Amino acid sequence: MQKSKSIERNYPKFAVVGHPNKGKSSIVSSLALDDSIQIGDTPGTTQVKRGFPLKVDGKIIYELFDTPGFQRARRVLSWLNKQEPVSADKRTDVVRAFIFEHKDDERFRDEIELLEPIMDGAGIIYVVDASKPYGSEYEVEMEILRWCGQPSMAILNLIGDDDYREQWKSALGHYFRMVRTFNPITTTFSDHISLLDSISQLKEEWTQPIKVAITVLEDLQEQKVEQTINTITLNMKKSLSFVHTQSIKGQKATTKEEESSKEKYQEKIIKYEQRQRKTIESIWNHKSIEKIEDHLVLDGVGLFSNESASIFGLSEKELILTGASAGAMGGLGIDLLFGGSSFFLGSIIGGAVGGIGAKFGFNNLYEVKLLGKKLGKRELTVGPMQNLNFPYILLGRALYHSSMVAKRSHALRGSLKLDDEKFYTEQLIDSDMRKELEKIHVILRKGDEVKDELWEEYKKVIRKSFKKLLES
Amino acid sequence: MQFKYHKITFKSYLDFLQLIQNYVGTHEENRIFALKQEHLLNKPKEILLLWLNTHAFRVPKIVNSEKFLTHIGVATNFLGLFALIIGFITGMGLLSYNGQEPINIIYYLFFAMMLPVGSMILSLFSSLSKGRVLGFLTLLSPLYWIEKIFTFFSFKHQFDLLKDSISANLQKWIFINRLQLLSLLFSIGLFIALVFIVVSQDIAFSWSTTLDVSSQSFHDFLVTLALPWRDIFPSTIPSLELVEMSQHYRLGEKLNSSMVEHADKLGSWWKYLAMATLFYAIILRSLFYIFTTKRLQQVLEQEFLNIHGVNKLLREFKTPFVSTKAPKVEKHLEIKDEKKTHVKEFKKSVESKEKVVDDYYNIIGWNFLYDEMLLVNDSKQIRGAFVHVVGGSHTFEEDEAVAQEAEGRVLLYVKSWEPPTMDFVDFLEELIENKKVEEIEVFLLGTLEDGYRYSEKEFAIWNRKIEGLESRKVWVIDAKE
Repeated sequence: MQKSKSIERNYPKFAVVGHPNKGKSSIVSSLALDDSIQIGDTPGTTQVKRGFPLKVDGKIIYELFDTPGFQRARRVLSWLNKQEPVSADKRTDVVRAFIFEHKDDERFRDEIELLEPIMDGAGIIYVVDASKPYGSEYEVEMEILRWCGQPSMAILNLIGDDDYREQWKSALGHYFRMVRTFNPITTTFSDHISLLDSISQLKEEWTQPIKVAITVLEDLQEQKVEQTINTITLNMKKSLSFVHTQSIKGQKATTKEEESSKEKYQEKIIKYEQRQRKTIESIWNHKSIEKIEDHLVLDGVGLFSNESASIFGLSEKELILTGASAGAMGGLGIDLLFGGSSFFLGSIIGGAVGGIGAKFGFNNLYEVKLLGKKLGKRELTVGPMQNLNFPYILLGRALYHSSMVAKRSHALRGSLKLDDEKFYTEQLIDSDMRKELEKIHVILRKGDEVKDELWEEYKKVIRKSFKKLLES
Repeated sequence: MQFKYHKITFKSYLDFLQLIQNYVGTHEENRIFALKQEHLLNKPKEILLLWLNTHAFRVPKIVNSEKFLTHIGVATNFLGLFALIIGFITGMGLLSYNGQEPINIIYYLFFAMMLPVGSMILSLFSSLSKGRVLGFLTLLSPLYWIEKIFTFFSFKHQFDLLKDSISANLQKWIFINRLQLLSLLFSIGLFIALVFIVVSQDIAFSWSTTLDVSSQSFHDFLVTLALPWRDIFPSTIPSLELVEMSQHYRLGEKLNSSMVEHADKLGSWWKYLAMATLFYAIILRSLFYIFTTKRLQQVLEQEFLNIHGVNKLLREFKTPFVSTKAPKVEKHLEIKDEKKTHVKEFKKSVESKEKVVDDYYNIIGWNFLYDEMLLVNDSKQIRGAFVHVVGGSHTFEEDEAVAQEAEGRVLLYVKSWEPPTMDFVDFLEELIENKKVEEIEVFLLGTLEDGYRYSEKEFAIWNRKIEGLESRKVWVIDAKE
């Protein structure tokens, strides 16, 4: 039992240390994929060390420690220097003695908090802000870390716009084996992996566990992509086939009844989209996200407005082409059935019918129908959505939101801006993709069931587009 | 006592459906559950049933499946009895013989053979069809309309709640299966009526048609229909002679003499009719019923796996749970509101730009180099009697000496981008304690490249710290340009 505990504790640990307000918590936040870590302008936001273990089924692969910044580094170094001179291999004992002696000394609370995990075997990740000039006061901190005798590396964080990296590199090179640039705000998944790869080289024994961690994180990323695609597909399926049914009193629906049905229909579609967004944010671990977005309002700009149609959807011309090609494909099926003896008349007629249908369908929204009697009652149904552009608007919004959330660093605390229309100036869904998607949209518009294989094809198209966005 | 779910039944389906709509657990909980049942990881049905058993106490009682199924059972029994009685009454009606008009075999065969075969074909089409076609075929079934009566029962609300959640495919198979049961009971009622009439009355059968059908053709037709049993029970097949003598013409006012002569033989048709009912309406229907029951179970199992949320649950069972979160919850720091009480505007006591007044006794630079200080003073046109540098690589003794020697107005330069550490606060407190020092003015300097300009944010950080010292001697100079 004792043995298994010691094995369990024998995983790589890393303490992220440095001067106050240099982005330590941001770096931990982005590496731990956790947006709940408090990050503030005020120095001393982090008051106690906090471990962020990467666990797989409860087994810790490595642990990152967020620590408070150095506050009285000169006093610590002064204490260390005042001790009896020792050989380099005994210096860690002196640091341990400092911790032991000052455990209850309020003045060194921050230093104790940051030195403890290091003395417990954690590798050192020293963070500096390379957008500001180097200062000799940092040497005191680096000297203390050298006394700790643990494998160490430095991270150049660019908080501001200026770049003093060269200056910093020359200074840090004297104290650290490795110096890497890592911006937690703009970091991508590949930056994350590349940093972990660098960390793995700090100590031979850590290489294997970190490689495992990299594989785990890559798998996790793939899972998140899959879950996002499933969520988007499910929402498309629900929204496009949704039919709102409402009983009506008279033989004919009144305008009020019709309007209220339409409103309820729209509310449901909006709710579906909001739920989808929440699920996607939760998949990507952005639970405290605040958004500035174009809400799906009933009037004005929103899902049902022409304005958003032109941003996220397809132009009238594109829709006609899509409709025509989908119709032509259907016609081609008939041609093949006749072994070509129809002289491709099917494709021509299908294309024309599809194109004309798209032309007239562009401005249609949903169909409002009066259903037959159901035990004496009459029902008014709204949906499924007949607007040809609607699926592309919905999908465009979903892909845009998902990619923004997926790419967003966990170190960011500001609002997520989802109103950047320029993002969609280039269409994400090319004509080939549109053809694939339209096959399903046609079926859903009819209110028919879509075969599983077709959904798989649909997912494939969404996956391709989403991955493209992630890489952009 | 807690109900145990051992196999996928309609009850387990309903309970699972309700459970998963209300509780799905976290990935971590589900993965831990699955790791304890590793041998079942590749047996989705088994592991899901086990999960259902584990969380059975969470099944919401919005729709009490037991009660609901009892209602459905009672309703089915009622409909079954109704079908049996209708079958019996139909049989009695078809076989009613008043001694003058013989019983028309074709009528009877229509109900005992054509109708069952036709409805079985319809069921077969229904089972293969989907969407609108299925809807149309369903509408043809009397059961569909009878079931509408359900909506008036006490469990209407439960029925409505569930029917939207139950998959269309499953609803279809439940419908088809129940249709077979009711049809079977109808046919049994018909058969009982036949046996009852044959036993209790002496009846005569005949056949009649306006079409040009010869006795030979009709005989051949009957023999073909009897293909399944003719070799086992050949005596049940009517002879050509019997078929000839049983043909009834509408123009005969009464029964023709030949029929009357062979009245004993005309009753022997019952054997053929009984076998036709037994085979087409009962045996074939029973087989179809068994097939639909098996298929229903298969569909139930398929649909159990198709319930919304099951895929996610199974994925969570199989996918390792990766966590990167800190187990400790972070205490949020209270940040005081900004107050401007320690802010002083920077006004150089100068008469003209050329003449700078030597206003400070001491100018101290925190974490600066001496040369850097000279540059700043020149740039800002500030002079002091003494210029010192502290912090950085200087020792405490050196810093202490500077703090003790200072007097009058002291200007303290700090790097605006470096937040005030406790090391700085310690030095500042030493200065404050020095009674000869009248005033300490903290001057924020940005980088040289930025022309020493600092940001509002940096100023706020320093101001907050200085304010925290609650000393009337210290001011933060607001020298924004």
